[in-house]
Amino acid sequence: MQSFNKKTGRYIGRYKNYDVYSNEIVRISEENKEDINKKLPGEITFNYGPSAGGLEESVNFNIITPGERINSVRVDSSFKRRNIKILNDSVDSALLKVERINGYHSASNSICFLLAVENALNIENGESNNKRIIEIELERIRSNLHVIKCLAESAGFSIPEKQLSYLIEDVSRIISTVFKHRYFFGANYINDVNGNFNNLNESILKIKNEFMVIYQDLLTSKIFMDRLQENGTVRDMNSTGPAARASGYNYDARLDSSSLYYESYKIFTGSSGDVFSRFMVRSDEVFSSIELIENTEIKENESKNKYDLNKSGTGYARIESPQGDLFYHVDIKDGRINDILMVSPSYLNIKLFEKAMPGNIFTDFFFVWESFGIWISEKEVNFI
Amino acid sequence: MSQWFLKGIKKGIKTEKNFDDKFKPDYPSRLEGKSGYNCPVNAIKNGEWDENKCIYCGKCDLKPTKDEKIYKINDKLPKMFKKSLYIYPLDSGTCGACNAEFNSIFYPQYDANRFNIFLSNTPRHADALLLMGVYTEKMHDVMIDALDAMPDPKIIIGFGSCALSGGILGSSINEKFNVEIAGCPPDPYTIISAILKYKGGVK
Repeated sequence: MQSFNKKTGRYIGRYKNYDVYSNEIVRISEENKEDINKKLPGEITFNYGPSAGGLEESVNFNIITPGERINSVRVDSSFKRRNIKILNDSVDSALLKVERINGYHSASNSICFLLAVENALNIENGESNNKRIIEIELERIRSNLHVIKCLAESAGFSIPEKQLSYLIEDVSRIISTVFKHRYFFGANYINDVNGNFNNLNESILKIKNEFMVIYQDLLTSKIFMDRLQENGTVRDMNSTGPAARASGYNYDARLDSSSLYYESYKIFTGSSGDVFSRFMVRSDEVFSSIELIENTEIKENESKNKYDLNKSGTGYARIESPQGDLFYHVDIKDGRINDILMVSPSYLNIKLFEKAMPGNIFTDFFFVWESFGIWISEKEVNFI
Repeated sequence: MSQWFLKGIKKGIKTEKNFDDKFKPDYPSRLEGKSGYNCPVNAIKNGEWDENKCIYCGKCDLKPTKDEKIYKINDKLPKMFKKSLYIYPLDSGTCGACNAEFNSIFYPQYDANRFNIFLSNTPRHADALLLMGVYTEKMHDVMIDALDAMPDPKIIIGFGSCALSGGILGSSINEKFNVEIAGCPPDPYTIISAILKYKGGVK
């Protein structure tokens, strides 16, 4: 694995003993031990999880509190750590596993991995660029709708929650119609995407119109706004994705990474860095993703090359997944995965959640957690 | 809140009386035909296809039929659960897709509540434990604790390729399941069909 001593570019995250910056990978001597917060007199430790109602995935929260106010939270995501045997696999076999690192963001993971492989083996991939953008933007729409649905659920707003659930299912059905699978499994190949893109714009327009109504209704609800504003505020230069943009940082791999080419894209930023700001950025990005899909021209691949993958090389890719920067670095030897490094946005988002929570009260907990859109499955992966 | 109520009413009934078959996915669904494909999860052996091992990747020559009935019912449902079934989902080591698909059966299109299928927030009040994901060491004790906390009689549902066979990522949870729901991940059509079949319902 490549390693350098300097730190250049913005911080993306960590995998094992490597810190990844947008321009460098830095080997660190050992994984930093997490600070253990000490309890003050009158404080108790409240354990929530790893399996409990309200949690979509298995994760444990260690909450230090004197009562209602939360003074500190530590997230233990290690319960569902998966050892994924991928080293020495062929690229095709490894892809089946990469698709299942985070099923909800399978398109982002598969495409980022394939871009890294194509980079390593010097494979020209321009023909599939637009199809890949459509895939990732469809995934982003569903993912952002899911986060907004969870915020409505946390506020006890059952009607918008069900309306958003309805839209999420509609997007899943669109994905299934185009790619034959509701989570893009089996859709991605080296420099190719298997999908039928006819009628996609028509279906996506319905989502846009329906979401516009729900979004405007939510913005007119003072109760909903009150639950989100000044809740879970965080501003940290080491942040990523919608959470970074909501606090004013214009970080976005769609513009500052060359792995996937976006012709034009306007970044939406907020300034307050609270749950409301993250809600606004995600909502704006639902509309911008729909616009990107509408304006992206699909051309069938002219070259149906069978690529020779029995080669060697090292490559990397970084793309903007729905929750932030996703990074893959692969080392391939004679067509087999010799080494692989993956940094998911959930690494930084968990750290941001831990920073955002102190000072808030228990009823704010789910708003703050859901607003980062964290997926434990992508954080707890150990490649062997 | 009355405004929201009226807005909800205006939308009309969104639940599908008969599920819209045109949205059934190709994968996962029952596969048919013959294939000499060297399946990485051994789902095709001596010409026989194993729905529990299959990860529905679409790489072999078997053809998807859109038939959602890819489940096995291994015993009879205790009579007391015929009217309502409360399910507690437990994630041992999923990719997140199984979690999302299970939750989607409560979305308006499907509304599993109308079939008296409910989500329980604690194993103490659950009739069935739905296990998903590959086996992971730290979740083993959590799973045992959840099973101990459930009142008798208890039902265990194996959910998805990872829980049933280990899929392509690891080993299976290795429990004796009352119901086995295949798929990677199982889609809402399969999930509701399997549970209703077990409950003696219509689907």
